[in-house]
Amino acid sequence: MNVSPAPAGLSSDRFREETAPVAELRAVTKRFGDVTAAKNLNLTIDRGEFLSFLGPSGCGKTTALRMLAGFEQPTEGDVLIDGGIVNDSPPFCRPVNMVFQSYALFPHLTVEQNISYGLKQRRPRMDRSEISRRVARALDTVRLAGFENRKTFEMSGGQQQRVALARAIVNEPKLLLLDEPLAALDRKLRKEMQIELQDLQRQLGITFVLVTHDQEEALSLSDRICVMRAGEVVQMGTPRDLYDDPKTKYVADFVGTSNFFEGTVLSVKEDMAQVELADGSRFEGRASDSFRETETVCLSIRPEQIRLTGKAEDGAIEVVVQNRIFLGEHTEYLVRHSSLGNIIVLAPRQAELAGTAFNQGDRAWLNLSREAMLVLRQD
Amino acid sequence: MRVYAICVYLFLYMPIAIIALFSFNAGRHASQLQGFSVQWYGRALKNPFVMDALQTSLMVALVSALLASVLGTLTAIGLQGMRGPVRVIFDGIIYIAIMIPGIVIGIATLIALVTVFDQINPWLAALWPEASEAPSLSMGMGSLIAAHTMFTMALVVVIVRARLSSLERDLAEASADLYATPFGTFWQITLPLIAPAILAGFLLSFTFSFDDFIIAFFVAGSETTLPIYIFSSIRRGVTPEINAIGTMVMLASLILLIIAQLILRREHKA
Repeated sequence: MNVSPAPAGLSSDRFREETAPVAELRAVTKRFGDVTAAKNLNLTIDRGEFLSFLGPSGCGKTTALRMLAGFEQPTEGDVLIDGGIVNDSPPFCRPVNMVFQSYALFPHLTVEQNISYGLKQRRPRMDRSEISRRVARALDTVRLAGFENRKTFEMSGGQQQRVALARAIVNEPKLLLLDEPLAALDRKLRKEMQIELQDLQRQLGITFVLVTHDQEEALSLSDRICVMRAGEVVQMGTPRDLYDDPKTKYVADFVGTSNFFEGTVLSVKEDMAQVELADGSRFEGRASDSFRETETVCLSIRPEQIRLTGKAEDGAIEVVVQNRIFLGEHTEYLVRHSSLGNIIVLAPRQAELAGTAFNQGDRAWLNLSREAMLVLRQD
Repeated sequence: MRVYAICVYLFLYMPIAIIALFSFNAGRHASQLQGFSVQWYGRALKNPFVMDALQTSLMVALVSALLASVLGTLTAIGLQGMRGPVRVIFDGIIYIAIMIPGIVIGIATLIALVTVFDQINPWLAALWPEASEAPSLSMGMGSLIAAHTMFTMALVVVIVRARLSSLERDLAEASADLYATPFGTFWQITLPLIAPAILAGFLLSFTFSFDDFIIAFFVAGSETTLPIYIFSSIRRGVTPEINAIGTMVMLASLILLIIAQLILRREHKA
C-alpha cells in the first residue's frame, strides 16, 4: 500500500485516513537500559479488526501496546496511527484509548464521572447535554444503566470491568487497547465478558487490540493473532492458521496443546517430509517449511487428531493407557509408548459411547495419520 | 508486668492529669487543692498578655502550616518523579530535618539568621536613599515562621509521599490516556486523591508549630508565643492560671491530632 507523504491539506488527510491502516509499527525496537523489550516489530493493524498479541509474560506484548498508547516511545523505528508518525506525541494527543489490567478507575469519582472524564477534557468544550447523552449510551452498551451515581469501589469486578470499557469506548477511539482486561475475573465471568467484548467490537466497529497470555481467549476473540516471544513476532495469522499451520514448535505449543517428537529429516518430497525419530521409527508428516535432509526437526500432532483404537491396525503404534480424565464432552487419555514417551490423546464423547473406552493399564493402539502430523522447525 | 506497665503510664500521665486537675482549683496556690472552680480559665482568657501571646502563636502556626503544606506537597510531588541518587539524598535530608533535635534547629537557625542579617543590614542601609529609614532585618515573626515552616515541611513531605506512592501509576496513565494534559491530571486526579494527606499534614504542622517552645525560644526575637509566655510566667511561680492555659492548649492540640489521624485512617480505607 502506498503511504508516501501526501501533500498537506484536508483532502489529502482524508485520503490518507481512508487508505492507510489504522495503526502500524515499522521496524520498532524498544530497549529499557540493557533489556530489549521489543525487537524489530513490523505489523499493520487494519481498520475494524480484532487483533491479539499473544505470548507469555515478558515477551514484549505489553510494551507493544504501551507504544501504541504513547506511554513508551520506541528506541528505533516508527509508530504510525492513521498513516501519521506519532512517535513523539504524548498519550493525551492520541486518538487511542486503553482498558487497563487493573481497570485504573478513578476512586474519587462516580461511575458517570469516570465515563465522562475523557469527553470533558475535549477543547473546545463539549456540550453538557451531549456529554450526558453519550455517557448514557455508553452505559447502555455495557448494560450498566442505572449505576451512574455509584462509587466504583462499591462494584463487583465484572461491573468495574464494564465501567472501564465504557470509559474507553465513549470517546469513540480509532483504536481500543485492552491490556489483559479479563485476567482478574473468575472463569465463568471471563467467558461472559469474552462474548460481550466480541459483540461490542462488532457492534461499534472500533479496532480492538488485545494483549493476553491466555491462548484460549486469543483464539476465541481475535480476527488475527500475533504470537510473540522474547520481544519478537514469531508468527502472525488467523486463529485457524496458527492452530492448523504453526510454523514453529513454539507456536504449536503455545496455541493449543500438542504432542512433540524430536527427529531428523530423512527425505523431503513435495510438501511431505519423512522423519526418523530417536528410536529409529519413521513417520511422514506435512512439512511446514522447506527442510534440508538430516536437519533436526520436531513432529507435532494435536491430541484430538489421534485416534485411539483397541486393536492393532496397519501403521498404528502400541501404547499403554496411563491415565484417563473425564472432561465432559471429551475424555483425555495419557498414554505411554515404550520409546516415544507420554502422549496425550483427546477422544470425543461419541467414541466412549460407542464402547471404545479404555482404563488405566489397558493396551491400546494409536493411529497417527500422516495428514495430521506436522513437521516443525525446532527452536 | 502489668503493675510495671501501670507504673509507666502513671509516671507519663500523672503530671498532665495533675495540671488539668489543679486548673480547676478554687484557691490560688498551685499545690493545695481548695475546692472546684473555673475562675482561672476566665482569668486566663481575660489576661491581655495571654491573649496577645495566643494571637502570635495562632498567626505563626497558621502561616507556617500553610507554607509547609504548599511547599511540602510540591516537594513530595517533585521527589516522586525523581530517580536515583538525587532522590535518595533528598529523602535523607527530609528525614534528618525530622530527627534533628529542636534545640539544634533553634540554635542553628538563630546563628545562621543573625550572621546573614549582619551581612545584609549594612548593604540595605547603604543602598537605601535615606539611611535612617532603611529597613533593618531582625529576629521576629518572620524568622519564627521561617524556622517552623522548615521543620514542619518535612512532616508534610513524609505524609504526602506515603500517599503518593500508594497511588497506582495506572491512574495517572489512565487520565493521560483519556486526553487530560499533565496539569489536568494533577488537578483532577492527583490533587483530589492526596488532599486528605495534605490536610492531615497541615493539621500536624499547625499543632507542632503551636506547641513548639524550643525553636521559638531561640528565633522569636521580641515576639512572645504562648509557650514562651507560659515559660516566663512559670519563673514567677506556677499559678492555677498557667494550669488552665496548659490544659486548654493540650486539649486543642489533642483534638487537632485526632482529626489528623482520623483523616489519614479514613483515607487508607478508601
